[in-house]
Amino acid sequence: MDSSHVALVALLLRSEGFEHYRCDRNLSMGMNLNNMAKMLKCAGNDDIITIKADDGSDTVTFMFESPTQDKISDFEMKLMDIDSEHLGIPEAEYHAIVRMPSAEFARICKDLASIGDTVVISVTKEGVKFSTRGDIGTANIVLRQNTTVDKPEEATIIEMNEPVSLTFALRYMNSFTKATPLSNTVTISLSSELPVVVEYKIAEMGYIRFYLAPKIEEDEDETKPQV
Amino acid sequence: MGIKGLTKLLADNAPKVMKEQKFESYFGRKIAIDASMSIYQFLIVVGRSGTEMLTNEAGEVTSHLQGMFNRTIRLLEAGIKPVYVFDGQPPDLKKQELAKRYSKRVDATEDLQQAMEAGNKEDIEKFSKRTVKVTKQHNEDCKRLLRLMGVPVIEAPSEAEAQCAALCKSDKVYAVASEDMDSLTFGAPRFLRHLMDPSSRKVPVMEFEVAKVLEELNLTMDQFIDLCILSGCDYCESIRGIGGQTALKLIRQHGSIEEILQNINKERYSIPDDWPYQEARRLFKEPLVCTDDEQLDVKWSAPDDEGLIAFLVNENGFNSDRVTKAIEKIKAAKNKSSQGRLESFFKPVGNTSIPIKRKGTKCMLQFPKPMLKSKIFSPQGYNSSRPIGFGSMPTPGRDIKHSTTFSRGVCFGT
Repeated sequence: MDSSHVALVALLLRSEGFEHYRCDRNLSMGMNLNNMAKMLKCAGNDDIITIKADDGSDTVTFMFESPTQDKISDFEMKLMDIDSEHLGIPEAEYHAIVRMPSAEFARICKDLASIGDTVVISVTKEGVKFSTRGDIGTANIVLRQNTTVDKPEEATIIEMNEPVSLTFALRYMNSFTKATPLSNTVTISLSSELPVVVEYKIAEMGYIRFYLAPKIEEDEDETKPQV
Repeated sequence: MGIKGLTKLLADNAPKVMKEQKFESYFGRKIAIDASMSIYQFLIVVGRSGTEMLTNEAGEVTSHLQGMFNRTIRLLEAGIKPVYVFDGQPPDLKKQELAKRYSKRVDATEDLQQAMEAGNKEDIEKFSKRTVKVTKQHNEDCKRLLRLMGVPVIEAPSEAEAQCAALCKSDKVYAVASEDMDSLTFGAPRFLRHLMDPSSRKVPVMEFEVAKVLEELNLTMDQFIDLCILSGCDYCESIRGIGGQTALKLIRQHGSIEEILQNINKERYSIPDDWPYQEARRLFKEPLVCTDDEQLDVKWSAPDDEGLIAFLVNENGFNSDRVTKAIEKIKAAKNKSSQGRLESFFKPVGNTSIPIKRKGTKCMLQFPKPMLKSKIFSPQGYNSSRPIGFGSMPTPGRDIKHSTTFSRGVCFGT
């Protein structure tokens, strides 16, 4: 979760995806993402990475081996204690689910951010509409369901139980689309009383999911119970 | 001011209760602020050099307005919703303390005179700060300013601290911001320090939760209040020779002031005659506060442009361009505050998992029961060892098979 408690990211890598995977007991470790990025940047592009941690230890080790096995680096990172309330994310039926090419979504978010700060995502029978408003004017982009394409990853598929329209900060959306290289498609799940979920599959081994709280109408906000 | 040495006592005996938080993390939160304390700080720091202070054309001090205006905008820009609480009549018991402060001020005024005659710059600075007093006029100016800015103001019947705590207890605000540690003694569930510090000092906000304080010190609320009285509060004298550390020991040993009085060595410690500790205790436990829902129904509204310009620029000589820009900032911040927080959708889950220490050797694992409906995330935070759980992910869409294959849970705890 980010420090303002607006967005949350969940990354799953299933054990099948690893060359070697061993876990004797379930282990939960708090890692500072900035520090972890610093260490991972020390790895070479083709290095084999091993992540290990001992039970009860307060560090995690990243081991990098070069493909020729002539260089082995060991980085040990201090873990952090992750505190505070735990948010339960309820299983929910989403009102609308849009699957579309991830590059298209990234392009839309980037373009809209140059016009306004927020995007309204509306799903109706006609399609999905992304719109924004700024000092210089307004922008509307409508995508229709499109399954008649050569490659399945180019399809735009809209599943809708109920029309839904929500407003989000583009700043966060543009952070999410940094995950675009992971997958050709992105799945956006929307419900009127839930944060949006933006999901990118990671090959066959997992996914990265971003949750973002919507913007709330001001007068509605006043009547909302204090959290 | 406040409780003598309580910060240090907590740091030594219950370090876990202090949590450093980023200023930004209070985004969207309603926070009650002890106004009198803030005004006092502004008068001391803002725009001061030697005995000179920021003034308007008429020579009236405007440091408090400058401070209040800028800091409040900073809060609004961060998406925080401040509500300022002003002091009412001080309780009778506090008058003694106030008289002491008054005489200190008189002394400081004399010292200042001497320092000025001697021309000692450091002393001038030091003593002139000590002569600062928040007057009724300062309070009124600030109230007017805040109302023009569209920020709610509450006038407490008595102590602002107590009113803030009451607001927080009744969930009208998320936390209380003050520098005065007696917010905790008044039982404010969540108390923030350094929220109003200038951004240039880069001090993180320090968050205290009274429930955790009691848990860590292993005291009841009544015992904690007794501890604060013994340590030294604004309402009565403390026993000579007993500071925070000794007080904590005595409370843990005997449980209450009454018991302590019966058991301590009266030769070694001289208990003040006519010691009104019971009265002080009552003031902490049942302070005079306003509980009228209508009066406490706080609303944040749009700023009054013309009113602000008339008040700040015309009456108090503020730079007109700056004020206009600042008003724009307030308006821009209004829009920002509509961003929702994840907590409004995903409710925090109680400590359902079996409490075990993260670092402890007894790590416990649990496979989730098939019933496990919600997954648990742990928001960012430091310094602690509370449980983290991780269950099956919700299924946004089409990959039900994945989420059932991956349904694995971990539970750790304190």
